[in-house]
Amino acid sequence: MKKIHQYMRPLFTKYLALPSDAVHELPRITMIGQIHAYIENHKGISVFTDTELRLRTINGYIQLTGNSFVLKLMLPEEVLLEGKISDVKFIPEKE
Amino acid sequence: MKHVQATFITGYVTIMVKGQMPEIFFQQCVDHDIPIWNVKRVNPKQCEGNIRLQDIRQMRKIRRGTGYKITFSRKKGLPFMFKRFWGKKELVAATLLSGLLILLLSNILWKVEITGVPTDIEKKITKELNNSGIHPGAWTFSMDSPSDIQQNLLKHIPELLWVGVEKMGTTIRLEGVEKIVVKKEPVSGPRDLVATKKGIIKKMYVSKGRPLVYVNDYVEPGEVLVSGNLRENENVDEEKEKKQSPVLVSAEGEVIARTWYEIHATIPLKTTQEILTGEQETKYYMQLADFRLPVWHFLNPDFEEIQVDNEKKPIYFFKWKLPISIVESVINEKKSKQISHTKKEAIQIGVEQARRQLQMQLPKGAKIISEKILHDSVDHGKVKIALYVTVEENIAQAEAIHPKKEE
Repeated sequence: MKKIHQYMRPLFTKYLALPSDAVHELPRITMIGQIHAYIENHKGISVFTDTELRLRTINGYIQLTGNSFVLKLMLPEEVLLEGKISDVKFIPEKE
Repeated sequence: MKHVQATFITGYVTIMVKGQMPEIFFQQCVDHDIPIWNVKRVNPKQCEGNIRLQDIRQMRKIRRGTGYKITFSRKKGLPFMFKRFWGKKELVAATLLSGLLILLLSNILWKVEITGVPTDIEKKITKELNNSGIHPGAWTFSMDSPSDIQQNLLKHIPELLWVGVEKMGTTIRLEGVEKIVVKKEPVSGPRDLVATKKGIIKKMYVSKGRPLVYVNDYVEPGEVLVSGNLRENENVDEEKEKKQSPVLVSAEGEVIARTWYEIHATIPLKTTQEILTGEQETKYYMQLADFRLPVWHFLNPDFEEIQVDNEKKPIYFFKWKLPISIVESVINEKKSKQISHTKKEAIQIGVEQARRQLQMQLPKGAKIISEKILHDSVDHGKVKIALYVTVEENIAQAEAIHPKKEE
């Protein structure tokens, strides 16, 4: 079953012009310069400190680093980060 | 952001979470649909964030058994402010009372200013105002309207020609103009008596002067009845007349003549008469814009037909009119009656009506001698009559004699 899904999804985005974040359940990251990052479709916070925010996603983690981080808003599957962001890194799940 | 809007109104608290990986606790809250905002990592073991007041109970449930420690560091929003304010009951009471006091004092009349009239009339005005309940210390909303006050004053104080009544907040300003009574000077000096109306003379009482007409003479208006010139035959003896100066007196007397009038009257055969039975009920409302809140007497009286008189009285706060006003509404019971007359009755009413109408036009002492219906007709449910009335009245009027200029 899973294989059919994985096979079908790129086809949906390609031929039906569906947004890829919705189809793939991938996080959507909207950034305003380096001061704001709005991350939707994540699977929860795993680490949050002054200098680092790490969010779980469907196949790994997103790591944002910088300094003076404040989570302006926390909602299910949504996070608004404020601070000075210097790095956005995708860390694949260790298998 | 809509989740955190208006949280100031509902209230929110800042919580401090202590423990290993405190951000995980916030994540657990978010998983239970509790929005959290302004999350800050204070130090490796502490994290603070804002949470809505209504979510605290659920947040405590989540915390149970997790080992995190929670302290409330700040409370913000209206509920807390209100609580703090409510804690100082004397302050609340004082604020309310002072507001009430200002409202009360704003609706009391403080000053009655009367200008433009001498002191004696001023005193009269003050007395008259006192009688109708207008004096310093009276409630302004129990007062009549300025135009009513004005009419009342003009009616009761004949010396006043005009009075301007103006209500300015808690003062009433009256500006009066005194009537200077000029007595109409009676015609003095030599004068004739002249007829004012045509008629047949019935009686003459001449105390001074030379009568020119006799009983049963027909006179036209303007005709001289009694001459003030005592010398006769001025026309015949013109040559003599010039040499002898005329002896002039002020003619006095009464000339009663029979005069006649034709009056038309129309009387409907069917009339609807509305009578107030005297049964009434007074209701009081608080009115805000178009909405009326009954304050006193909530039920409508069970009158079949009513006539409602409303009187609106505004409430003031300082000099401003509040949108709230007190409305006194008097409900009068009304009864309407259908009255139909026969033609004979209608004519009788018409005669009566015409008689009254005529009496108002006639001078004092006039007597209606007889009346005769000349013509009557029924048309469109109405009776039309023409009435011939004979009256006996004094038709003499004084008119000054202007001495002819000597050539």
